[in-house]
Amino acid sequence: MSEIYNLTLIIARRDSADDTPRYQTYEIQAGPIMRFVDLLRTINDEQDPTLTWNSSCEHGQCGTCSMKINARPMLACELLVENAIAMFGTSTFTLEPLEIAPVVRDLVIDSDAAYERVNSVKPYIIEPLPPGSEAEEHQINPDQLEYYVDATRCINCFCCSSACISSHRTFLGPNAMLATIVRVLDPREQEKEERYRKIYSDQGVYRCHTSKACSHVCPKEIDVARFIALAKKGFLPE
Amino acid sequence: MKIDIDTTLSCDVLIIGAGGAALRCAAEILENRPTAQVVALTKVTHPQKSHTSTAQGGLAAVDPKDPLDATVYHMFDTWKGSDCTADQNVVKIICESAWEQILWLENRGMHFSRNRDGRLSKRTFGGHTRNFGEASVYRAVFEADRTGKGIMDTSWGETLKKGIRFLNQTIGVELLIENDWCHGVIAFQQKEGKFIRILSKATIIATGGSGQVYRVTTNCRQNTGDGLALVLQAGLPVMDPEAVQFHPTGIVGPGILASETLRSVGGILRNRALEPFMVDYAPKMRELAPRDLVARAIESEIREDRGITNPDHQIAHVWIDLTHLPDEVHEKQIPEVSSFFKRYVNLDTKSDLCPVRPSNHYHMGGIPTNAWGEVEDHEGHPIGGLYAAGECAAASFHGFNRLGTNSILELITMGSIVGRRVLNYLKDEVKAHHDPDPLIFRSKFEGYLDNSGSESIGILRSELRTLMTDKVSVFRTEESISEAIEVIHEIQERAGKVSIANRRLPMNQELLQRWELDNLLLVATSICHAALYRKESRGAHFRDDYPSRLDEFNHHTLVAVDHGGECHISQRQIDMSLFEAGGEHSEKFGFIERSY
Repeated sequence: MSEIYNLTLIIARRDSADDTPRYQTYEIQAGPIMRFVDLLRTINDEQDPTLTWNSSCEHGQCGTCSMKINARPMLACELLVENAIAMFGTSTFTLEPLEIAPVVRDLVIDSDAAYERVNSVKPYIIEPLPPGSEAEEHQINPDQLEYYVDATRCINCFCCSSACISSHRTFLGPNAMLATIVRVLDPREQEKEERYRKIYSDQGVYRCHTSKACSHVCPKEIDVARFIALAKKGFLPE
Repeated sequence: MKIDIDTTLSCDVLIIGAGGAALRCAAEILENRPTAQVVALTKVTHPQKSHTSTAQGGLAAVDPKDPLDATVYHMFDTWKGSDCTADQNVVKIICESAWEQILWLENRGMHFSRNRDGRLSKRTFGGHTRNFGEASVYRAVFEADRTGKGIMDTSWGETLKKGIRFLNQTIGVELLIENDWCHGVIAFQQKEGKFIRILSKATIIATGGSGQVYRVTTNCRQNTGDGLALVLQAGLPVMDPEAVQFHPTGIVGPGILASETLRSVGGILRNRALEPFMVDYAPKMRELAPRDLVARAIESEIREDRGITNPDHQIAHVWIDLTHLPDEVHEKQIPEVSSFFKRYVNLDTKSDLCPVRPSNHYHMGGIPTNAWGEVEDHEGHPIGGLYAAGECAAASFHGFNRLGTNSILELITMGSIVGRRVLNYLKDEVKAHHDPDPLIFRSKFEGYLDNSGSESIGILRSELRTLMTDKVSVFRTEESISEAIEVIHEIQERAGKVSIANRRLPMNQELLQRWELDNLLLVATSICHAALYRKESRGAHFRDDYPSRLDEFNHHTLVAVDHGGECHISQRQIDMSLFEAGGEHSEKFGFIERSY
């Protein structure tokens, strides 16, 4: 029989963005490999069906369940009970929504508002280079792809934006920067000028204070700060 | 509590869903008709969160430059893999346009993995062969282990660029069908807590799979068969719902896929007594036997009480033993799956036995359509203005068993085919919006909010999912299916005694889950009745009491549910046009044996 832990979850609750949060305490027992999404589901099933949170794939591929757990932005689907106890040295956890967009209810934020910053950098190829010949793919050297492929792994969970010490009002955020930096480095994009204007605008990379919090919290372990630094240096070879 | 429609919105094209099929379809329409007003609803918080994003392996497509491979081989593999129940007109269309779809994605920025020449890398998968089964062939292009994400990011970007309108966290709750013509949908916007009417010239259902019907599934939490329930509720049939694929090795308890590779590098399946049991089921092939056989072997061990129950998740499983493999194998050949075990069950594949069990993976069955994605009624007549594409649809490309890498190929290909069909339709039939009265959603949602009782949505959902996993999954018998049907009736009755604690409509998670429970129950009902009807074994549908494939069942199953809850079964012919065309290789497309 595996160990059972007695956990205390203190969860920020709000009915809308205008409310001030009230912190509600839930006591719950769970085995070592239960994930935080499992805990929230158990609370819904057994204690309080009104506690509102969100998830989708529940295996770290979509970034829907990002939230702050003891002030650290992370994916609730990836945090196991025994790892959480080891990481924070406590069995009491405070769960709060990411503060990068208005709260819709409890742990759910307005993701449309959050995504507006990503949309503003045009997360697609603006002016595609025609391929070498008709009905063919572009040829991209694998070493060239390797140089920027990590930036393509971003799932827009917004953990980096939440951890970033720059103001959310003035900086578009590390993930939005990644979305445009990828296309600066992608040889299929011809419209680099518009991208530079955004990257070096007053909401762009110079807002970054190089705390590297983005790299530190990224659930996909992308070295976000490396790409931001690359942009700050004008994309000169490292 | 009284429910009203808040606003009415009109558009040219309405897509229910915003995953791979939905957005490939939208992009096709917007690229060719930039003025079209296209609206896409998605249940998730953003299109990027769709289940398509989780697809790992690759996309099957024959490269015309490949001297060893040919489209006819891909067609053959798909037909054989389907256990002779795919529709050959659909198989032909999809396989023939596959490479064109790959180029579409590549030219718009998908980050495919590359070989040294800078061309697209290819890998091989189970069932990909040349010369009609003679030898393996490299047919799958991929973006590392995140091919679905590449498709999703690219198609989302393209539709955003072309001016689509997304309504995120919005569900379609009733199709507006009058005189066999669909005019749009009643939708519920979760965030705002508002019901709206959306009138459209063309409506496309692309809501994805139904994996949540089962307790252990590789599917995301949102895959509750909503599109299937939407058509069933409208009195239309679903096709082949009994064709549900189970992957032999899902990680206990989240159900995450632990790939085939674990067994190909030398992993050994062991039961509670640590005996390597595959030798009893497949003495020669052992762990390398085909997916369905391995799944049945694991399920047999569990059923005969030689499994282990995970104390945290309370789910029975067997072990996969990788501890005897050199460190290099763990680090170089299976790093992703090893990291999944570490991350989700805190086990080290180098030193620990890892818990696995068959996990629901894919629904081959779905909303019946013709080869252009037009939704059909039980007599094969298309419903005007109504289309379906992706996992929720059955055209049918996969028949009773899907080959690895054919699912995301189907998404993008059928998405673009439906898009082209809709373009023609918009050109030809400039109809004014018509506004039929909704019949169902008000009483349904008012009922959800007004019911009283002490039943819990979560507990009923768990009971249903456990029931389906125990009684109607890898193994099925007349007795187990009949028992499931009875219990589903009981759960349906108890669902009427759920009271919703919070009655404010904005972001009301309980209300959404209550609606999902009804969808799960309806889809489970259709699966059970079709499985009971099909007294044979075919592809992923295995009946203990009828273990062979029978010619008398060489057809698709259609299941409809009437207002009294009665199920009605009918049949649809399998399209055999490749066989009937005669000529070279046509004999390969008869009712051949599925043996590997």
